[in-house]
Amino acid sequence: MIRLERATKEVRMKGVRKMIIDDVSVTFPRGKSIGLLGRNGAGKSTLLQIIAGTLELDRGRIIRQGKISWPLGFQGSFQGNLSGEQNVRFVARIYGVNTDELVAYVAEFAELGQFYHAPVRTYSSGMKARLAFGVSMGINFDYYLVDEITAVGDTNFKRKSQQTFKEKLSNSDVIMVSHSTGTLRDYCQTGIVLENGQMTYYDDINEAIAVHESNMKRH
Amino acid sequence: MNYLTIHIRIVSAFVIREIATRYGRSPGGYVWALLEPVAFIGLMSVLLGAVGRLPALGTSFALFYATGYLAFSMYKGMEGYLVSAISGNKALMSYPKVSPFDAIVGRFILQAMTSCVVTFIIIYAAMWTTSQPITVQWSYIVEAIAFAWIMAFGVALGNTVLFFKFPLYQKIFEIVTRPLFLLSGVFYVPSHMPHPFSDVLLANPITQVVVLFREGFYVQHGDTGLDMPYLIAISTGLLFVGMLLFTVFPVARARD
Repeated sequence: MIRLERATKEVRMKGVRKMIIDDVSVTFPRGKSIGLLGRNGAGKSTLLQIIAGTLELDRGRIIRQGKISWPLGFQGSFQGNLSGEQNVRFVARIYGVNTDELVAYVAEFAELGQFYHAPVRTYSSGMKARLAFGVSMGINFDYYLVDEITAVGDTNFKRKSQQTFKEKLSNSDVIMVSHSTGTLRDYCQTGIVLENGQMTYYDDINEAIAVHESNMKRH
Repeated sequence: MNYLTIHIRIVSAFVIREIATRYGRSPGGYVWALLEPVAFIGLMSVLLGAVGRLPALGTSFALFYATGYLAFSMYKGMEGYLVSAISGNKALMSYPKVSPFDAIVGRFILQAMTSCVVTFIIIYAAMWTTSQPITVQWSYIVEAIAFAWIMAFGVALGNTVLFFKFPLYQKIFEIVTRPLFLLSGVFYVPSHMPHPFSDVLLANPITQVVVLFREGFYVQHGDTGLDMPYLIAISTGLLFVGMLLFTVFPVARARD
């Protein structure tokens, strides 16, 4: 379960202030995947960062029960001079999972072959993405955070990653930001619409999508 | 799992990672942590040894410069490495598990271990070059190192926040502290300097660290200018201010 209690967050970007959430209280129940909807710049990604814990609230608090992932497929932390394997070891250590198991899992999943032991700076962007996705799948989280799911690799790899992710979701939930209503319907059962600093929770993702679409028509 | 175990786990992951990446692509990797100071001290001893006949203290130029340079590096090396702990690992802060403080503690531990090993090796090597036997008094040395680290930790914590908030201050700080090496008594004895100038030099807490460190090697008669109450007050004061700034202004926002 994740709960926001009277949470307020304002972001300042180059002198422009934007209220992302204003005195919001909402509960994300465990066991249901949630789609986050909102217009461009409403603060969906910021909200994901707040849930992840990489951004702090201005006021109010957030209560998290369960293990929450970093944004799926995040690869910014890979150190170019370290090999893929060394980078995986680092992530395993900070998350307290068995290093050798994770290294073996990612080796098989990411299909990097010899490159697994080469510095990450020699990787193509596709290889980096496969490595990142493999690490995310190798650790069991209660919540997976997804900011615009991006398919990587060739057709076979896409199919495999989609299948693995779906399997993960039998035990885990996803909190997803996407502009594609099809993807949201595919992965999520419930939805939250973020509009003018307010968050409204809908038990049914279709209802959330309908509200979001009528919001978009109003402007 | 409790917070302390998680913190220890993440810090050790950091230490391992920093060892592998610190000297990045330079061939030889971590050996440079030792080679750099050895090369510098060796060069200074040869150059200045050619000019003068005896160093200001003792009989060995190598030992005199080694004690000065290593004591200075205990502060400067630590401070410079810690202040970039967060900016240099910004990407890692995107892992919710990793907090900015983990990066600082990780670097502190690595730098502490490295500089101790480097100091031992160089000091023992330099002692071979003296003609008179030297009785090392460890209590002075340990104290000097402790004060250098306390100061470095405080200054780095404070500057992490201030550099982030005021980029102009960072430039000014860098320019103002650039002559620090010359003003810290590394290659002269501050109390041997002419009167008003020696007081100015001794007001620099890093000079005090260098003087205290050298007490462990040289028996000196007369006033060395060492002022322990002053050194204790300055270093704990800097530590307090640094921790205060770091706590009051959340650097978690530096994740962006």
